[in-house]
This record gives sequence, C-alpha cells and structure tokens, in this order.
Amino acid sequence: MKITKTQAGQTITYVVSGRLDTVTAPDLGKEIDAVTPDIKELVLDFDGLEYISSAGIRTVLTAQKKMNKQGVLKLRHVCPAVLDVFELTGFADILTIEK
Amino acid sequence: MSMISVKHLCKAYPNITPLKDINCEIERGEVISIIGPSGTGKSTLLRCINCLEHPTKGEIYVDGQNILAAGVDLNKVRQKMGMVFQQFNLFAHLMIIENVMLGATDLLGKTRQEAYDHGMELLESVGMAEKAFAYPDELSGGQKQRVAIARTLSMNPEIILFDEPTSALDPTMVGEVVSVIRSLKEKGMTMMIVTHEMKFARDISTRIFYMDQGLIYEDGTPEQIFGNPQKERTRIFIKQLKPYHADIKSQKFDFLGINSEIAQFMHKNLVPEHFRDASQRLFEELFMQCVLPHLPATFSAALDLGWSDRNLLLEFALRYDGPAYNPLTDTNNDELALLLVRKTAPELKHRYENGMNYLEVTLKTETK
Ligand SMILES: Nc1ncnc2c1ncn2[C@@H]1O[C@H](COP(=O)(O)OP(=O)(O)O)[C@@H](O)[C@H]1O
Ligand SMILES: [Mg+2]
Repeated sequence: MKITKTQAGQTITYVVSGRLDTVTAPDLGKEIDAVTPDIKELVLDFDGLEYISSAGIRTVLTAQKKMNKQGVLKLRHVCPAVLDVFELTGFADILTIEK
Repeated sequence: MSMISVKHLCKAYPNITPLKDINCEIERGEVISIIGPSGTGKSTLLRCINCLEHPTKGEIYVDGQNILAAGVDLNKVRQKMGMVFQQFNLFAHLMIIENVMLGATDLLGKTRQEAYDHGMELLESVGMAEKAFAYPDELSGGQKQRVAIARTLSMNPEIILFDEPTSALDPTMVGEVVSVIRSLKEKGMTMMIVTHEMKFARDISTRIFYMDQGLIYEDGTPEQIFGNPQKERTRIFIKQLKPYHADIKSQKFDFLGINSEIAQFMHKNLVPEHFRDASQRLFEELFMQCVLPHLPATFSAALDLGWSDRNLLLEFALRYDGPAYNPLTDTNNDELALLLVRKTAPELKHRYENGMNYLEVTLKTETK
C-alpha cells in the first residue's frame, strides 16, 4: 500500500493505492489519528486501491467517526471491487462515496 | 491368501524416491486401477511387482511366495505375471501369430503346433484371428494392443499388469482395447491397471488405488474414490482441479507472500478476478482475523485451493490442528470479518476430524 498526503487549507487528502488489509490498515490508521481538530474535510482518494479487508473498513469507519465530530469524510475514486465490499457490509449507505 | 501382498515397499533412485512406503493386499480376481499424477511411481510399482526393478526395501509376495527372497526363480515368478505396456513392443519382422507363439515355444517349451493352436484361440478371443498372418506394421494401434494382450495371455499368467494400455492409442481405438480387458475381468483374471481413463477405471475396477506422495494415498471402491474421496489431493486429482497449496506453521508466517502467490496462481490459470478476491478475502478474514488469534505460537495449518476450468469453480480449504474450533460460531470474533466471510461464502462449512479442523467451500461463478 502507498499513502500520499496533501493538505490545502482545512482539507487533507490521502491518496491510498494497493491493498488496505490487516497488514497495511494500521499505517493509514496512524495517519488518521494524527489529523488535528481544525481539519474540516478529510478525503480518502482510493484511486489505485484494489482491495479492502475488514481491517481496512474499520479504519475508514474510524475516520468517519472522527470526522462526524469536526467536518466531513469523503471517499473518492472507489473501484468496483472495493465498492462491492462497502455494499456487502452495508456501509455504502453511511459513507459519502463520490462518483 | 492374497494373490499379491506388498509390505513397506520402498524404491529409491539416486535423485528421487518414487515409492516411500507402499502397502497393499490384492485378492484373486480383483481388478485394481491405479490412478494418480504422473511421476508418482505407478510404473515403478508395477515394475517392482514384476521383478523388472529391485526394490530398495520392503517385501512382495505373489501367491504366498516372497519374490525378493534369495534364490527365487525369477522366470517362474514372471511367468505368473503378464505385463502389457503402453508401447506394444511387437516384433516387426514376425507375423502376428508368430509374435503370439514366441513365448510359448521359447519359454514354456510347447511344440509349434500347440503354440499355434493356442495362439489362434487367443487371437480369436481378442478379435484378431483374421490378422494372424499380417505383420505389425499393417495393424492399427488398437489392434496391436489387442495382439499384445493375446501374447501376454499365451504365457497363461495368473495376474496381468497393465501400464497405461490405452495411452498411446487414438481415442477412437480405446474402446476395443477396453472391451478386451473387460472380457478378461469376466473370466476372473486378476489385474492391476495403471490408467488415465477415469471412466474405464470407474467401470471396471473392484478397487482404485490413488497414488501420490510415494504412497497409496487413498484406496477404496470406485464409488468411494470417485464419489466421495476423503483426502484433499485425491479430490483435486479426481475433479481435475489445478491446485495451490501453502503450509502455515507459525504466527509469523508470510501473509504477504501467500497473498501474492494466490494472485500469481490465479493469474497463471486465467481464473476470473472475483475468485482471486474471494480467496484472498476468505484467507484474510477467516484465517488471519478469526483463526490465527486462537492458535499457539507454532501449529500445523494449510491453505488449499483447487481451480476447475471445466466447471468454473474454485475449491477453498483451510485446515489447522489443535482442539475443535469453529470460527463461524464464535461470537467473540470480529463481526465485520465474519460478515464478509458469510457474504463471500455463504456455504462455508466447518468440520473436525482426527484432530484437524477443516473450513471448506466451493465457490461458483455467481459468488461475489
Ligand atoms: N530408472 C530410473 N532412474 C531414475 N529415476 C527414475 C527411474 N525410473 C523412474 N524414475 C523416476 O521416478 C519417478 C516415478 O516414475 P514413474 O514410476 O514412471 O511414475 P508414473 O508411472 O507414476 O508416472 C519419476 O520422477 C521418474 O523420473
Ligand atoms: Mg508411468
């Protein structure tokens, strides 16, 4: 997995590619923990993300919970295989997945 | 008394040990088909029984006689056992009837007339009397093989060993050879047949030996072996699955390595992507998330996948030793992981046998 962070004002974007699984999810988790309270928009750009596991979903849910308190979380460029997993687990409805 | 009895047979070549520990008892009148991947020692086993190879260790009894004992008359032993090979090995410069007579006159000491009369009878019985005065070159593969069987019968064997008798034949000629072998069964001939013709093996055999790993890995009636094989390797072979196997021995095993091997396996075999995702998902959610935390520092576990081109299905099987543990019913497990497992493989089943846990499912095309 590869994570690239960019910040513009109160928006942070992480471009995450590869696999978000048991092994790699903690790395993204650490990034999200470090997001400060002044950030109003968090974007997870999944361009190039091909696989997400339950551990990855948990990380996304943690991000959602955090941003609920201080702003919004957006998912971008979600590929069909990953979208499937959000749909299977029923989280597609509570996440903001941009087309 | 068994017709053939093999005990702890081992045959080692300098670089490879095709037979590690072969044990079997074959009764008079039995028809045994030997199946298994190539290179698993099927031919070597027949050659040991027929004294064409000397085993490294073990014992072989034919009709109660230890054929490996010092001072045994090998010609006598070989006479009891006919052998039919994939290549027919007929003498090209001799007529068909001469090919059939040769053993009887040269080895059994019969007169030419006796050998001729018996030879013609045998050619008749395999439907080749008409070609008695032809030369091998004038015959088709199926006809040559029928002559080779008649030649074997001319020695009055009590057992016939067949090593892939139909493998060199055009498919249209398999039937005529198969029906000759079937007629020998009806006459009560004891036979061991190495074959890749699964339908034939299923129809004709009293028992099937599945050979793998230097062993008679699984044996049983045709119904058992073809209908309900008990072991993973047998199943993979019977269903013509392409296998992937990974052993897992400790908490520190190479998860990433296995994941990328799965991807390579799928790629190599042109398996549709959703099977790859489903396999990796099951392996991660089921094994990493649910099972692994319940295993000790070291253990014995394995992942087996089997892909069938023909049926577009993938068999997924995980096993691990230790006490019975079914992660599917353990509510302490990560519910998200279990949810993904259930969605990916609703039919996944757990069973526990002889100290081993098995989690198995067959994934079909429509499974997401
Ligand atoms: N004379 C030999 N010397 C060395 N290796 C041999 C010899 N004969 C067979 N082998 C090896 O033993 C293994 C089993 O061979 P074989 O009995 O012919 O297998 P199968 O008939 O099941 O295909 C193979 O790996 C083969 O290469
Ligand atoms: Mg062979």
